Amino acid sequence: MTGTECERHAHVLPEGTSRFVRALWGIDVRVRALPAAANELVPRRPRFVASNLWLPAPKLVGVKGSYDDYLFAASAHIAAHLRFGAARFSVDSLKPIQIAIVSLLEDARVERLAAVHYPGLTRLWAPYYEAQAARAKTSSALLERLARALHDDSYVDDDSWLSKARQSFMAARADWHDSAWCRRLGSALGNDLGQMRVQFNSKDYAVQPAYRDDHVGLWQFEREPSEQGTELEFEGVRRVESDLPATNRRERGVPEISRVLAASASEGASKLRRQESRELEATTRHPEWDYVIRSERPAFCSVNERAVAPGDGARLATALSRYAPAQKRLERCARQLAGRRPSHVRRLLDGDRLDLPAAIAAIVARASATPPDPRVYRRIRVQLEPPALLLLLDLSESLNELPPGARATPLELAQSASALLATSLAFATRDLAIHGFSSNGRHDVGYYRFKHFDEPYDEGARARLAGMRASLSTRLGTALRHAGQALAARDARRKLLLVVTDGEPSDIDVHDPKYLLFDAKQATIGNRRRGISSFCVGLDANAEASVRSIFGQGNYSLLDQLDSLPQRIAELYLRLSA
Amino acid sequence: MSGDQLDAFRIREEPYYLALGDEVSLFGAAYAARLPVMLKGPTGCGKTRFVQHMAWRLQRPLITVACNEEMSASDLLGRYLLEEGATRWQDGPLTIAARLGAICYLDEVVEARQDTLVVIHPLTDDRRLLSLPAKSEALQAHPDFHLVVSHNPGYQSALKVLKPSTKQRFGAIEFEYPARAREIEILVHETGLAEQLAERLVAIAETARRLKGHGLDEGISTRMLVHAGSLIGQGIGVEAACQMALVQPLTDDPELISTLNASVRACL
Repeated sequence: MTGTECERHAHVLPEGTSRFVRALWGIDVRVRALPAAANELVPRRPRFVASNLWLPAPKLVGVKGSYDDYLFAASAHIAAHLRFGAARFSVDSLKPIQIAIVSLLEDARVERLAAVHYPGLTRLWAPYYEAQAARAKTSSALLERLARALHDDSYVDDDSWLSKARQSFMAARADWHDSAWCRRLGSALGNDLGQMRVQFNSKDYAVQPAYRDDHVGLWQFEREPSEQGTELEFEGVRRVESDLPATNRRERGVPEISRVLAASASEGASKLRRQESRELEATTRHPEWDYVIRSERPAFCSVNERAVAPGDGARLATALSRYAPAQKRLERCARQLAGRRPSHVRRLLDGDRLDLPAAIAAIVARASATPPDPRVYRRIRVQLEPPALLLLLDLSESLNELPPGARATPLELAQSASALLATSLAFATRDLAIHGFSSNGRHDVGYYRFKHFDEPYDEGARARLAGMRASLSTRLGTALRHAGQALAARDARRKLLLVVTDGEPSDIDVHDPKYLLFDAKQATIGNRRRGISSFCVGLDANAEASVRSIFGQGNYSLLDQLDSLPQRIAELYLRLSA
Repeated sequence: MSGDQLDAFRIREEPYYLALGDEVSLFGAAYAARLPVMLKGPTGCGKTRFVQHMAWRLQRPLITVACNEEMSASDLLGRYLLEEGATRWQDGPLTIAARLGAICYLDEVVEARQDTLVVIHPLTDDRRLLSLPAKSEALQAHPDFHLVVSHNPGYQSALKVLKPSTKQRFGAIEFEYPARAREIEILVHETGLAEQLAERLVAIAETARRLKGHGLDEGISTRMLVHAGSLIGQGIGVEAACQMALVQPLTDDPELISTLNASVRACL
């Protein structure tokens, strides 16, 4: 099965499962995919640490039933831990077998409590229990049968140790709301197994049935988490899975990775957070979409708004004289747009008022015994006002390159286009802003406001436009979100985000070309939800595929003739506003 | 003629309504003071049933108008019709209610355009006056006339909000989905379901309501539960009834449907 096939089959990862947990208990969790490790010693199991969930993706080998059902079963089990679990158990002097048994008792306890509220959960979990009474007395077989015996009251198993465990568990029914007895009972049962000389090897122990978590989230570990742990908190589990040497993955019945994951209180992490909170004061954070985990990374990118050093506005005005005809046309149309008045629609079957001439005609028709036209009403139609427009310019380094045979660099053309639009619309609307961005990694997406909404296009704005510079890279999605935020705040019926970019999004800290592409697409979808239409003008005719995938069919236009950018922007504005 | 005209709007049998708080006495007081009332709350939580119940209780005819964007002022006030070579004025629903003394209920009032709604302004302050410019008439409202509007602050887009100048003319009563025990009681009464099954349906609704704002615009309403209960009463299986009445009408998103189905199965 290829990667994309896996994704397609995982309908409910991650949102479906996190929503399921929320639907059941009102608990918000973050679900991520747990990919297969390169050399898997034991089968993967779901895992949780506090409200972070990792669920196997792709589907585990050998697990029956639909993948969606498995994911729901796994998330419902973890949800039961989150809802009914108390503080984590401390390991202290417990042996690995005791840890395993205490965990199974705790699993059964929280599941029983959850099933009181949602009896159907028992049926959701049932198909994964396959243990049979007849199997050999190895520790893993016994633990698997223990799980079944505690789950399924109709399961028959006359093993004396199991019967004792089962009876004690059911006898503690009154105490199920509390987990302390699980630890006591589990360590006693573990001792019994020790006396029966049953061997337990934590290295090849995988929790059964397969929908259950690997018990990492149930235990408090003594050793301080490593620095690697903080990294993991931010970058997700993928990386550490592969970085950790397989040999020291397991110890004392729990994988090494658990310590790493339990890193919430680590000093490194808190230092990082302090640093973050300071930065927050000066910058705006935006999430970023990671198509691999199909989830947003919250507050992942920082936008730093910077002041623009003014340039020579007079020079820009001179450059603009080349576009005088376009400017005249644009001005005329813009005035028309702004001057729109409500108009009457006549001869309607139904409307606000009588259309007097039509009514008279109808009466005349009736008097002359011909069938009257019943359309005798009129209605007032309110025309759409021009939209709020934000022109967002991609100001990456490549805008400085003079293409062969061209008279001006893309940057100069972008300046002219902005000036043309601002000059022509100055009389018609103040619902126009011109912003630009260039990025230097996710921590520094520079954002520049050349012309603000509501600001007249004056000397100051002209000087800022003239001061436009291009450098660095194109983290398009983040800029789209930031611009979307500014536009969403406008009080206008229609909101238009017009993006000028020279190709595919890229940035220095991203190597997967699809990553920023999908993020920008997601940002566009988010903007659309906020009532913002996006349209893209692509300066590179070769980048059609990426522009189409970000903005969608019909929402972009590619320039074959770079020099025509200013006229093209003006035409587009008129077409989109009409 | 006027008596006949209102006859169709009278409610003869008591509409079932289980009070959730003090809304009955609040509405009664507002009616006595002729203070226009706004009912706020999610769709399907019982706002319309409440108005019907109160109209029955107060023995007033009830004229309901479902508001929409295409509605114009003349749809509320009335218009001239052509008839036998002459024009004849036809009162709109609001005018009928104001002229003859009924309760006028504007359902989902935000759906109406703002410029349409301003016609109710003089009617909703102490002037109690309805101006009919097309007919050159200023209609003094009947002493029994009362205006009630409903709106759902939950799901409308940012563009659809009531103007403060409209909103502030009303006293407002907020509705929520009923608490579990009440909702079970309502369900049992409306559908004849066994109490235990009704309790499970309410549990399903509660899971979906937690997803409001997490993929769903609105949770499963009491009305949808009644639909599911009626289907079960017709002999449909519980899961199939939940599919038809609860899950599928709520969303078209396949992932959300999977999640809702898992919740349904967990509850049963």
